[in-house]
Amino acid sequence: MSRVDVVNLTKRFGDLLVLDNISFSVGNGEFLCIVGPTGCGKTTFLNSLAHLYDIDAGRITIDGEDVDLQKHSIAYIMQEYSAMSWLTVRENIEFGLKIRKVPKDVMKRNADEAIELVGLSKFADYYPNQLSASMLQRVAIGRAFAVKPDLLLMDEPYGQLDIDLRFQLEDELLKLWQHTHTTVIFITHNIEEAVYLSEKILVLTNKPTTVKAEYSNELPRPRDVTDPAFIDVRNKITDLIKWW
Amino acid sequence: MSSRSISIAGSRTEVVLYAVAALAGFFIVWQLLVMYTAVGMVMPSPIEVVEAMVASCADPIGSKTLPMHILFSLRRVLIGYLLAVLIGIPVGILMGCFQVGEAIIKPVFEIFRPIPGLAWIPLAILWFGIGEESKYFIICVSAAVSIILNTYEGAKSVDPTLVGAARMLGANDFQVFVFVTIPSSVPHIFAGLQVGLSSSWMAVIAAEMIRSSEGTGWIITTGMDSGNTVQILIGMVSIGFIGLILASLLRGLEKKLCTWRIQGR
Repeated sequence: MSRVDVVNLTKRFGDLLVLDNISFSVGNGEFLCIVGPTGCGKTTFLNSLAHLYDIDAGRITIDGEDVDLQKHSIAYIMQEYSAMSWLTVRENIEFGLKIRKVPKDVMKRNADEAIELVGLSKFADYYPNQLSASMLQRVAIGRAFAVKPDLLLMDEPYGQLDIDLRFQLEDELLKLWQHTHTTVIFITHNIEEAVYLSEKILVLTNKPTTVKAEYSNELPRPRDVTDPAFIDVRNKITDLIKWW
Repeated sequence: MSSRSISIAGSRTEVVLYAVAALAGFFIVWQLLVMYTAVGMVMPSPIEVVEAMVASCADPIGSKTLPMHILFSLRRVLIGYLLAVLIGIPVGILMGCFQVGEAIIKPVFEIFRPIPGLAWIPLAILWFGIGEESKYFIICVSAAVSIILNTYEGAKSVDPTLVGAARMLGANDFQVFVFVTIPSSVPHIFAGLQVGLSSSWMAVIAAEMIRSSEGTGWIITTGMDSGNTVQILIGMVSIGFIGLILASLLRGLEKKLCTWRIQGR
């Protein structure tokens, strides 16, 4: 539950300017989706935000303070499966808590809650190689929510899943978000997904990436992808994203 | 590995049956060759070898019984091998986890790597004499190479996604090392330990064939000197069985430590 401000964020790889002077804000508990053409540097953007990359210029602050991973609680759910294969589901979900040296009883409570929320109670003692793709992604989501993050970053977490699983996990995510009031930044190239999930949509341009538009998505929930109002918003975003 | 063979052969009992049948077949063919062909002129039969092995448990070969010879070889292997483990794993981790470590150690290691353990025998004798120390040294050198190499590969091939995930959860360098790098290298380290163990078992034989008054290698060389094929085969069969037992013990330990790799396969 935090407010995130990004001010003049710039990132280069050598001579290649990837992110050019990006500024935006995400409000406390807001669900922001970032869309943009393929290869526009969405992941670079998130990695910079998460301080996995050093940024060349600009500032990223959480509640007015510069991001510090040891202090701020940021959880990152990636495109790739990031469950530790040598840990059980429970141990994976406890991982962040263990890193943060949370007391044992709190750890157990948070983990139980997160395991329950992502529907893996029956599989708590399974190892990742015994799980399906969607369950692996649930492990990552559970691990993220277990640390009660100030900010949750998600990088096309459902890109590799079937459409019905994706719908299911999207609904679960919305439930988790409403339940925890976590601030979420969610990257996707799927416009429908963005319209379905978000409160605000940030449209990025091709490289060097800048913010092309910010769209406030006020569709009532629960949303229906076949609703004409929904389709209207989707078309608007599609028009904004077009670079051809 | 075992899962693949199971899927070919069917159930676990079938695998065991195949193994027993293959071994029995091997010994039967050996026995028949010795009984009915010219092989009998240069080879004793398996029955003779087994009888002689049983007999040598009570009657000494040279100054010691067969179990004592085996214990002598085993002691050498274990000391040399433990030294190799103590040196190899830290060196491999230094190389795999730290760029400075890699930059400094790797070039030197790459020169030493192709030198077989046996090529160290002359230097070992000059440095440590012909006693036990030179044998430990040769065994240690032979085993260390594969342990270092595999540990290095393991530490190097840690999935960056996992490291990123741990960092995002607030892990510092030390925590990434302890909670991600080490556990994810364990399977590689075990592969190195396995290869290292068989190298050191090979090295002890060579070391004993050069100079010693006991051990399985010594059984073979003295058997050769006296033209005693039964004795040579006693040495060889013991080496085979002990090597097999050591490898199985290590595999058992790996299974215990890496349940996560076995479950669900």
